[in-house]
Amino acid sequence: MKTIELTIDDKPVVVEEGTSVFDAARMSGISIPVLCHAQNERPIGVCRVCTVDCGDKVLQASCVRPAENGMKVFTASDKVKKHRKMVLELLMSDHPSPCARQRVSGDCELETQAAAEGIVTPRFSKRVSPRGQDDSSLVISVDHEACILCDRCIRGCDEIRQNHVLGRRGKGYNAGISFDLNRPMGNSSCVSCGECMVSCPTGALTNKSIIRTVLPGGEPVGVEELKQLPFFQKVSGTFLELNKNAVIKRHFKKGEVICREGDYGSTAFYILEGQVDIFLASMSSKQAVAQEAPSLIEMFSNIFSPKKKPTSGSRTGSIPIDATVDLPLDNPVAQLGAGDIFGEMTCMSLYPRSATVRAKTDCVMLEMLRNVLDVIQRNKTLRAEIEKNYRKRALEDHLRTVPLFASLSPDFIEDLAHQVELVRYSRGEVLTRQGEQARNFFLVRIGFVKMVEDHAGGELVLAYQGKGGYFGEIGLINRGTYAFTVTALDNVEVVRIGVDAFNKMLERFPEIAASLRAVATEREAHNRRHSAAVSAMSLEKFLNQGLMEANSLLVIDLEKCTRCDQCVRACSDAHDGVTRLVREGLRFDKYLVPTSCRHCRDPLCMIGCPVGSIRRRNSLETVIEDWCVGCGLCARNCPFGNITMHELPGTTTQKAAVTKKKATACDLCQDLPEPSCVYACPHDAAKRVDPNDFFKEIIGAGTLKAPALDSGAHGGKR
Amino acid sequence: MRIDKTHQSWAVVSAIILGVAILLYFPYAVLYPGGPSGNTWPGLIYGIIGYAMMLFAGLMGARKRVPLWRVGRAQVWMRGHLWLGALSLPILLLHSAFTARGPLTILLMTLLVITVLSGITGALLQHFLPKRLTASVQLETIYEQIPEVREQLLSEAGGIVEALCAVPEAESAVVAAGAAFGAGGPAADEDAGPELTDDQRANLQQVYKHEIFPFLLNPEKSGSPLADVVRSKAFFEALRRQSPVSIHEALGDLESICEEERQLIEQRRKYLLLHGWLLVHVPLSITLLVLGGIHALVAIHY
Repeated sequence: MKTIELTIDDKPVVVEEGTSVFDAARMSGISIPVLCHAQNERPIGVCRVCTVDCGDKVLQASCVRPAENGMKVFTASDKVKKHRKMVLELLMSDHPSPCARQRVSGDCELETQAAAEGIVTPRFSKRVSPRGQDDSSLVISVDHEACILCDRCIRGCDEIRQNHVLGRRGKGYNAGISFDLNRPMGNSSCVSCGECMVSCPTGALTNKSIIRTVLPGGEPVGVEELKQLPFFQKVSGTFLELNKNAVIKRHFKKGEVICREGDYGSTAFYILEGQVDIFLASMSSKQAVAQEAPSLIEMFSNIFSPKKKPTSGSRTGSIPIDATVDLPLDNPVAQLGAGDIFGEMTCMSLYPRSATVRAKTDCVMLEMLRNVLDVIQRNKTLRAEIEKNYRKRALEDHLRTVPLFASLSPDFIEDLAHQVELVRYSRGEVLTRQGEQARNFFLVRIGFVKMVEDHAGGELVLAYQGKGGYFGEIGLINRGTYAFTVTALDNVEVVRIGVDAFNKMLERFPEIAASLRAVATEREAHNRRHSAAVSAMSLEKFLNQGLMEANSLLVIDLEKCTRCDQCVRACSDAHDGVTRLVREGLRFDKYLVPTSCRHCRDPLCMIGCPVGSIRRRNSLETVIEDWCVGCGLCARNCPFGNITMHELPGTTTQKAAVTKKKATACDLCQDLPEPSCVYACPHDAAKRVDPNDFFKEIIGAGTLKAPALDSGAHGGKR
Repeated sequence: MRIDKTHQSWAVVSAIILGVAILLYFPYAVLYPGGPSGNTWPGLIYGIIGYAMMLFAGLMGARKRVPLWRVGRAQVWMRGHLWLGALSLPILLLHSAFTARGPLTILLMTLLVITVLSGITGALLQHFLPKRLTASVQLETIYEQIPEVREQLLSEAGGIVEALCAVPEAESAVVAAGAAFGAGGPAADEDAGPELTDDQRANLQQVYKHEIFPFLLNPEKSGSPLADVVRSKAFFEALRRQSPVSIHEALGDLESICEEERQLIEQRRKYLLLHGWLLVHVPLSITLLVLGGIHALVAIHY
């Protein structure tokens, strides 16, 4: 290789031809400040901080300027310093100082360099159009305000990790980084590898470290050990390092219960060694499941349908549970072994456990929090592995839970297994849009979706579908376009069957085609009848007020209530003089929904509590434990304003006006048989209800039918 | 409490008690030597039962004071209060054999009738008024918060009018520039503020000062056109006609504030009706219980 000679700050340097001035300086021990260039990335010279004087007419960005023979470079002349200071000052004028990174670890590169240049307050005015923040990812916090458009994250994502998720959006002052086609990070195809975060020189991309608490019990697992496991091999080491307490190893003796059906939890399990049995804990629950719907689906089916009696032929299906297998209905027990994962739905959407898991042999498990599971689920290699397992083990069972597909031959299912996709959707994402060309048939595997029909006067919710529900057949069979818009209500995973495979199935199994056509026709007719009958306004209001989210809703019948406030007094008396109920709020029909915790199905308030004091015990109540540190995050997260912060008595002294606060929310008077507010209401006006049952008639949903387990309804026939 | 189907069992039981009491009264009235009166054994039993019913009804007040005591749901107590309280009147009439001898007895009987009647009035009010209150006051607030809400409405209205009547900055600049450079100054920014002429501004200020402000300050005082829905609508229609379209939205906000104020008036009125009868019922009940107790002691002693 040919070498060249040059001088940098009067120091002779010999480097290979093609070396940049920046690298030549670095090799000779001269440091040039830079922001947009990282050693492991291709230089692009956008920040202009590394500007040097190479004797050209203008100053050059050293990271992209190739060194030349005989070149005389000055990296710290007055002219260069003045220029560099100006660039830093301009960058600082738009930078929220201190940014998140500077606040937490004090190593924001921009702020550090600006401080070294003595820039305290930039002379230039700040940008007028804010670019905002993106808090949608569980793992990484995005502050577009702190972004200096150095593109290090983009190169990290595209060139180092080759994920090709990050790019640029907008022009001029509105320019910024974007995920996919400018989607929120949490809804993008980002795999949360963390490369962008470690590449970022400022606080624009920072680790959320959402749960700092250590999972109780178990033994910590080192990053190296995790990286040995196939399941974690593709997960970014940076991420694992930053979230090392979010995965722990647990040992279970043979016969020990790992989790119990109905319990609320927030973790998933990965089996390292041993086998487990998954089953429904009691005969009564078996019976209940056989006759009605499984508990999760039942929650929603209660909105729409009276409980159906089982038909004689209905016991051939299986019970969908929160694992990679379903339980046979006639003998609801299944086994999982090393390499399997269970508890995903509980972990991601905070639903109760759907089955009891007991160690069949001595077992070793990894228990993980949702930020870890989220990263794993986003990883393409691991997704492929999960899909492979699913196709191999659960797809057949899953398809057979749809009564219409019960007659599919094993060889066809085998063939179909290679043509289906497992696709994930985040809360709020649209799966199908009304009027769009129908291309797929969907089978819900995890989570819940909302089916909505758009009308001139607004939208009408037709049904909710849980695991085992299906949709898309109307469009594929009758219309060519989707009949309604389907939106994910939480973290949803669906089996997507393309139009070709679907048509092939119809050709080969005419009886299935006939049944599907009949179902599609009946659904359409039912939808029309329903649209005409249902009070869309009530339903819309019901949904807009988030009432369907509630597990236990306090309502006050305003036509009975004499406004005597006995409920508030009782609440106050029951909680040391601090009421957790304010008799004010939105009205729904003749009912007041006062400000009082609804014990939501998806308790957003629990996300992010730094000390884990807001939680569910072994029931549906959301309780705030005594060790609350009063940070107020839960109160801010609660979309209904039902958590209040109150000052603890005796924390204000004459010397220091420091008050300690504590979050309070209705605990349903858990130590008493009935909430005090309801017990003390003399007018029978205050009630704690399941809104989906209680308002069934008002929202006109009595005629709807949600997915149930028996043959006629499984699949969410409406 | 709303008297609906859920009271059926209480109504039936009360009717049975009353029926049995009346049925037993006939043989007692005909056969008892000396005829029926309060100082006979059967009369005394009627008296004890009647007073016990009154006492139970009276305990409702005590029950309300301790909402946490797990001594039965408050609504069960309320139903008992209503039905047994009402039943005490006929039972005590049977006790007294429909006569009142002596001043204490007359006083007791009068108090009993008034108390029960006031209770029935209250029950009727509580049956009908909540529904009306719910229908007519959509923007209901907590009763004790009404003064604060009123203050807030007054401040909001003042802010709106102040913003509407403020001389836009650009216009000020024009004036200033005009003063400095003669007639020709920079053109005023079209988006700088509402296009009100001085006359319109003065008119709006007058309207606020003489109609809206006094109404919001003292809404209970009658006479303001804003206290009446129809007149208020006409008032604001007229105001809109006199004002440029650009401020119609703000005038709509003012109209909404007045509407909310009217709803507060309505809420207050109905609330006072809903609870005002207790001012008669509660003291009379206490007096009745005390005097009833004295009557019982005196009767037993002598």
